[in-house]
Amino acid sequence: MAVARSMRRTSPISLLLAALLAFGFICFLLTPSSSSSSASASASSSRQRQQDAAEHPLSPPTKPFLKSQSYRSDGYQAAPPVVHYNLNNLTSTSDSIVNGERILILTPLARFYQEYWDNLEKLSYPHELISLGFIAPKTKAGNTAIAALEKAISKTQNGPIDNRFASISILRQDFEPPLTTQDEKVRHKLSSQKDRRESMSRARNSLVFTTLGPSTSWVLWLDADIVETPTTLIQDLTSYDQPVIVPNCFQRYYDKNSRKWDIRPYDFNSWIDSEQAQVLAKDMGPDEILLEGYQELPTYRTLMAYLADLKNLDPRRLLELDGVGGTALMVKADVHRDGAMFPAFPFFHLVETEGFAKMARRLGYGVFGLPDYLIYHYNE
Amino acid sequence: MNRPHAFSKGHSAYPRGSAFSISPNSFQPRSQPALRRRRQLFQRLCLLAGVSFLLTILIFPSWRAAVIPTLSLGLIHSSGDLQLQTVRYYDLSEVQGSEKGWERGERVLMLTPLRDASSHLPMFFSHLRNLTYPHNLIDLAFLVSDSRDDTLRMLSSMLQEIQNDADPKMSFGEISVIQKDFGQKVQQDVESRHGFEAQASRRKLMAQARNWLLSATLRPTHSWVYWRDADVETAPFTIIEDLMRHDKDVIVPNVWRPLPDWLGGEQPYDLNSWQESETALALADTLDEDAVIVEGYAEYATWRPHLAYLRDPYGDPDMEMELDGIGGVSILAKARVFRAGVHFPAFSFEKHAETEGFGKMAKRMKFSVVGLPHYTIWHLYEPSVDDLRHMDEMEKERQAQEQIEREHELADKQKQSSNSESQNDAEKGSSEGPAAQPPKDAAKGNSKQDKS
Repeated sequence: MAVARSMRRTSPISLLLAALLAFGFICFLLTPSSSSSSASASASSSRQRQQDAAEHPLSPPTKPFLKSQSYRSDGYQAAPPVVHYNLNNLTSTSDSIVNGERILILTPLARFYQEYWDNLEKLSYPHELISLGFIAPKTKAGNTAIAALEKAISKTQNGPIDNRFASISILRQDFEPPLTTQDEKVRHKLSSQKDRRESMSRARNSLVFTTLGPSTSWVLWLDADIVETPTTLIQDLTSYDQPVIVPNCFQRYYDKNSRKWDIRPYDFNSWIDSEQAQVLAKDMGPDEILLEGYQELPTYRTLMAYLADLKNLDPRRLLELDGVGGTALMVKADVHRDGAMFPAFPFFHLVETEGFAKMARRLGYGVFGLPDYLIYHYNE
Repeated sequence: MNRPHAFSKGHSAYPRGSAFSISPNSFQPRSQPALRRRRQLFQRLCLLAGVSFLLTILIFPSWRAAVIPTLSLGLIHSSGDLQLQTVRYYDLSEVQGSEKGWERGERVLMLTPLRDASSHLPMFFSHLRNLTYPHNLIDLAFLVSDSRDDTLRMLSSMLQEIQNDADPKMSFGEISVIQKDFGQKVQQDVESRHGFEAQASRRKLMAQARNWLLSATLRPTHSWVYWRDADVETAPFTIIEDLMRHDKDVIVPNVWRPLPDWLGGEQPYDLNSWQESETALALADTLDEDAVIVEGYAEYATWRPHLAYLRDPYGDPDMEMELDGIGGVSILAKARVFRAGVHFPAFSFEKHAETEGFGKMAKRMKFSVVGLPHYTIWHLYEPSVDDLRHMDEMEKERQAQEQIEREHELADKQKQSSNSESQNDAEKGSSEGPAAQPPKDAAKGNSKQDKS
């Protein structure tokens, strides 16, 4: 009863003041959330995100834009601003985080694997420096993949700020893929490879040349079926400061004989050229292509997949290559800006990522591989 | 004054109404005694709930993001970036490019590489303002590279002006000004720009610049890409629509330039638009893998049919001609050509580079490449060093002539009014003297044919 009586005596004004005080106290307690260090990091990251945002929706896809738009005094929507980009100041160096270099991760999406997204989210490179780009065909499979992707995106982009990516572009491609099946056996048949890879080239080119924008320093090509990489993938690959660099793509499988999980090489498109292959190419018609991993075409190239020293992994071991695979491929944005693309036609009898390596080399860039730096492909 | 009166009135009214209507039930028992009794319990429960809520929020920081904004009615923003749109969705099949793009709201990316071009900018902007294609559908992008004059400052202020124009239909869409220096060592004056030795490396650098500009500014929203040089002097205002109507993947107009009368009045300018010839293909086979064939030099006799030489001033402007190599003064291409990966090779692609290599690569990817022989735009005439020297001589000659005439005039006032009016016509301080020009000069034609 004593409490009630004292309450009755206090005036409503002092109650209001007390409520205000309590509210302020709670604010004080909560706003510098959790531990102070991560809080300040999060605040600075969101400030940086805010600063980097474009004013107008007509802006590079690598930038988020402000939802609210300004208007002219006469009521018309304000014209887009004149924006300057000084590309002389754009660097791509081994100290990518310190220099705040922006990464564009590009993925041609055929299927969506949750493991792929989880792996992407775990990358420890500051997410406010990462933009994502996806391209999917306008097929039923593409629709399913995009639906799943959008679900994962909305979860991440509405989650904790530090986990959110700077921006995400989703593209639907404007041409039909040559094959309707993603079945492993059909997909890898030699005759269908040329069409498949040419179509893949066009998808990759459409993706990179529309999303690159003026502020990207590095482009990481990451296939949708790469489900396991070190979380420091970006820092590691940029640390070599090479124009084009590719890790070794392996696959985990269950070995029925030894009854345990093991790993095996998966991507055979990263290679060092051989004389035999050169001779083969010389006798080919202008529209024929050389492919790796087919008995019909004995190229005797040195494949990086087999150069991994599994007993004694040395992730810093660097190797100069002539052809690269696209499962995970780190490229300085300058290489793409100079025009290196994925040929959708036989370019020196090479297409797609292998043709890309050839074109990069013709533009004067070195192409490198990391035989002992392993990433893992999904096992169907 | 009125108050007491009013008061008395109100007072007198009081007893009549409420004095006898006081409810006799005012001492009824309290309506909800149970609630009163449990009030303390309620208070304690609320307090407990509040404290436990605060505790859980302190213990599980991850809940805060979800809970705080709803409770605080937006007073505490965890951060402002809730106002950012981060996800964009594009369907490329909606930006294929059609013959009536302006009716379908198709966006055009207009690209202009600039270097030491401040003198051309006023002319270029007057062309921009006059374009009839809906301005809000045109995105402008400029590359300012290795400039030593104030191209950049002028460009920004002129762009700013056009975007803030009182007429809301004048302003353009996205505007990007890209700065990038490529360490261009080659001089920009006409003489050195067109010397044979410098061509291959110059063309590769130009290609690089074009690719940087394109890759930084091409968006998934573009249906068309229009390359336009800043030094075009005369072009139809409807040029984008005119080229678009042909619905080709890559299309170029014919590019000529006006000349002073003593050089013949006009001349084909862009010799990079051509059809492939057997001779040239044979020549290409003999060359080194990294060699670049450039048109218009005696060193490479290609015998190719050039778009420029096929012009008939009275021909049908809609007539088309299949091309293999193209020039870069004014190119309209569907954005899907660039999306497919076609670009300006900064290396020797089938023995060609830059715009000629672009034409070759587009052909290689089975896109249509077409030129309009009778649809002409006019490139600015920049006198070469030889021309300038020659003009100087002519100017002196003319002045001498005038001097003589003036003496005649003084001597004979009635005879002639004046023929010195022609002086005003002379555009670049040159030529067009009276008919007294020596005929050998007109035939001399020592200005080299230019390649863009």
